[in-house]
Parts: sequence; C-alpha cells; structure tokens
Amino acid sequence: MAFYLTYLLIGAILFGFIAGFTLFAVYSERKIAGFVQDRLGPMETGRYGSLQTLADILKLIQKEYITPAAADKVLFAAAPVIIFIAIFLGFAVMPWAPGLAPSGLYLGLFFVIAIISVDAIGLLMAGWGSNNKFSLLGSMRAVAQIVSYEIPSGLALIAAVMVAQTLDLREIVVNQGIQTAEHLLLAGIWDVTDIGGLFAWNVFQAPHLLLAYVIFFIASLAECNRAPFDIPEAESELVGGFHTEYGGLRFAFIFLAEYAMMFLVAMIGVVVFLGGWNTPLPNIGAVRLADWTTGLVWGIFWTLSKTLLIVGVQMWIRWTLPRLRADQLMSLCWKVLTPLAFLCMAISGIWRVWVMV
Amino acid sequence: MQALVFYAFSAIAIGSAVVLVSMQNMARALFLFFIVLFSVAGLYVFALADFVAITQILIYVGGVLVLMLFAFMLSNKTLLDQLQRGTSHFFALPVWQALLISACFLAILVYASLQLGTFQPAWMVAAEAAGTTIGPADSTVNHIGIHLMTRYLLPFEVVSILLMMALVGAAHLTRKEANP
Repeated sequence: MAFYLTYLLIGAILFGFIAGFTLFAVYSERKIAGFVQDRLGPMETGRYGSLQTLADILKLIQKEYITPAAADKVLFAAAPVIIFIAIFLGFAVMPWAPGLAPSGLYLGLFFVIAIISVDAIGLLMAGWGSNNKFSLLGSMRAVAQIVSYEIPSGLALIAAVMVAQTLDLREIVVNQGIQTAEHLLLAGIWDVTDIGGLFAWNVFQAPHLLLAYVIFFIASLAECNRAPFDIPEAESELVGGFHTEYGGLRFAFIFLAEYAMMFLVAMIGVVVFLGGWNTPLPNIGAVRLADWTTGLVWGIFWTLSKTLLIVGVQMWIRWTLPRLRADQLMSLCWKVLTPLAFLCMAISGIWRVWVMV
Repeated sequence: MQALVFYAFSAIAIGSAVVLVSMQNMARALFLFFIVLFSVAGLYVFALADFVAITQILIYVGGVLVLMLFAFMLSNKTLLDQLQRGTSHFFALPVWQALLISACFLAILVYASLQLGTFQPAWMVAAEAAGTTIGPADSTVNHIGIHLMTRYLLPFEVVSILLMMALVGAAHLTRKEANP
C-alpha cells in the first residue's frame, strides 16, 4: 500500500513544482519583457513587484465561474483539465538525477511525444465548447500548427535516438556522461569516456545533432504556441484565441499548462541533446571536476539550471521576434525544418554505422 | 489492485462506446471516442503491448481523431443534420449492414474465447517451454524492430508503399490547377 502512497506523493510533488515554476516564470517573463522593451516591469506589489504573480493567482482563484450561455457545458468544463493533464503526464518519465525518475519506462521518449499530442484534443475541445468564432479559429490554428510541427520535432528527436540507440530517457542521459558503460567519442574522433563533461553531450558526440537541436527548439516553440509562433492567440486578430471565454480557475489551468509545456519541452531538449543531469565540467587530469559534480543533488541542480536557461531563451525570443504569418509558419515547417530534420536523420544513420563503431 | 484498474479501464471503454453510438450530438460523440481510444490503450498496456498502446495514442488520438474533428468542423451544417437524422425504422439498409458486421465480429470473438478457454494454443505452450516469453519489465521495442526488418519485411515494405501512394495522392489533390 505504501507503494501507491509514494505514487501519489510524487504526483503531488511534481504538481507543486509546476505551480511554483509557473509563479516564478510569469514573474520573470514580465521582468524580461520589461528589460527587452526598456521599462521596469511590475514594481508595485511587494519589493520589485515580486508578489505580483501571487496577487494575480489570488485574483484568479476568487473569480466566478462564467460559462457562456450558448457553450457546450461539459466540453467547456473538461477542456482545461485535459489540456493540463496531457502536459502533466509528460513529466512522468523525465529523469531528474542519476536514478531519480518518476517512472522508468523503456519507451520514455515515445511516451512523451505521444502524450503531448493529446494536448491538441484539449485545445479543440476548448475551442468548440466555447461556441465562439474567435475561440474556434484560434483552436484550429493552434491544432494545425501543433500537428504540423510535431513532424520536424519528432524527426529531430529520432535523429538523436538513432545515435543513442535507446528510447529510455534514463539511458539516453547516462550515455552522455562519465557514468556510461559505452565508449564515448567527441565528434567521432577523440575518446572522452573518462573526461565527460560538456564534451560527452549528444550535441558534441555527433555535431549534426546541434542542427537537430535547433530544429527541435524551433518546433517546440511552435508546439507551445509561443511567439514567434503565437498566431493561435494573436491578440490583434483573435482576442485571446481558444481561451477567449475562459476565466477564473479554468483560465489558471490553461495558463499553468502553457508554462508546464514550456518547461517540459525545454527539459526534453536538455535530456536528449544537452546531457540531462550530466555536469558541463570535464575532468582535467587530476582535477576531477566531472566526478566531483555528479550525484543526486548535483543532478537536480544541473537539470534545473539547464532547463531554466532554455526557458529563459524561449522568453527572450518571445519578446524579441515579431509574429510569423500563418502561411510563412507552414512553409517554414514543411519546406525548411522537415527536410533538414530528414537530413539529420540520414546523417545519424551514417554516423552510427560508420563513425561511432 | 491491477485487476481493479483493468476492470475500470474495460468499464470505461465499453460504457463510453455504448454512450457514443447512442448519442445525437456529433461533437460530443467524437470527444467520447477519445475516451474510448484512451482506455483501449490502457488495456493494451495490460496485454504487455506498451508499444502498441503508445502508438495508439500517438496515431489515433493525436492524428486520426484530430483529423475527424477537423472534418467535422469544416463540413456543411445541413449535410450533417441530414446525416444525424438518419434512418429511424428498424429494417433499413444501414441497420442491416451494421447488424451483420457486428454479428460476424461477435462470432469470431466467441469462437476465439472458446478455443482459448479449453486449452492453451500450441505456440503458447511451446514458447513457455522454450522460455521465449516476454515479461512486464522487458523492452519490447527491440523485438519489434528486429522482426520488422527480418521476418515481416515484405508486409512492412508493402505498407510503406501504400502510405507513399496515399501521400502522393494527397499532394496531387491539393495542387493548384494551372488553368481552372
């Protein structure tokens, strides 16, 4: 029975982490936006506006549930839950530190890709349930975008999987550091099995994965519906997109799902391409930096810091680049990213067979 | 506990399938279909077919169902109303076809369960004797990959050619005509 209690506890801890991350991320997003646009950002609530998001959450929780009269009541109420749960389930297989993952699934990466695609159903549900033209158009744009961009992101991940030879996320991470049982070569030439650190990461083991990572990163921005791919919620055209009609706690859940998705895709990228919980510091002769900075606490620290760095880049891009038009978005996906991802996949096959022997 | 989860999944799958076919509201029926597919994926996990379960979610939920919803939302409202009204009396042609197909499926299922109930099939006994069964903690994807590339290579290639043809056809249909 203690078994099932542990499961519940892990779920609760992950949920608490996501909620805490969202609070922190919304605040930092506002501050980054302020910095990029040369203003201060929130300054009124608390010192340097640090209580601003807490105040926002309190406001959202107090709000009344408003369901539009013509809405499909069941679908309208169920949509935010499905959107959030789809993302939340993705966290089930993400490894945090050596030997620390909520679930050790052999098909971990495949599971994450599949479960994220359920998100699209939730978005359609929200758009249809609201019975509002803006919502419906927004959700259809969002889903068309998510379904299209799943292809380059999936192919980029497959390119990495072909090099790693496993779908198990724990094993993918282990094979990028000093704890591996395999032979690691930097760019296929220099043996770095004992040196580890930065050089053993997948992007440096096989340099074409750097391109695959960039493809994955761009596609993951589109899957999160974030700028420059945020036409589903383009304020100037669609009011708020699929969540126009939502308010109160339901809106809070959609918001939570959006930030959880940002963290999840950043973490997938870190785990598959950037070494996961492995340290970036290499062993230099007698100075065993990589040995000293590998462990449970260090693992969590490296995972968190790398992922938060990527989330920071996502925010920076959001406030820097202008929004893409719908047709530009699709042609970028199908005419640039997909062929490049296929190229990466082909190089991965050649790399594995001829270089990494 | 495992049996409890199994029966919960089965009950959800059967219950929502029954509600689905008797429902008038087409949009809600499609979303119920999502629940059916998801709980069937859960049942696949109990059959130690985790790869099939995840593929089911990826392809049916993430792909086919989304396409069905798109088709539903983009189609003509009056056409849909006609479809939804349907035929009401018992001896109409669609009812006959549906009855025939479901009766055939029922017969196959009953036949298979009768066969399994009395004795284990020979291949199952042989596999247990040789120790080539797959346990819950084994990785299935390696076996699938090797078998697809060796034993089932021809069907695999035939399916890929079929998919390729569908892809070429779709690309041709969406092409802009030079002179309309």
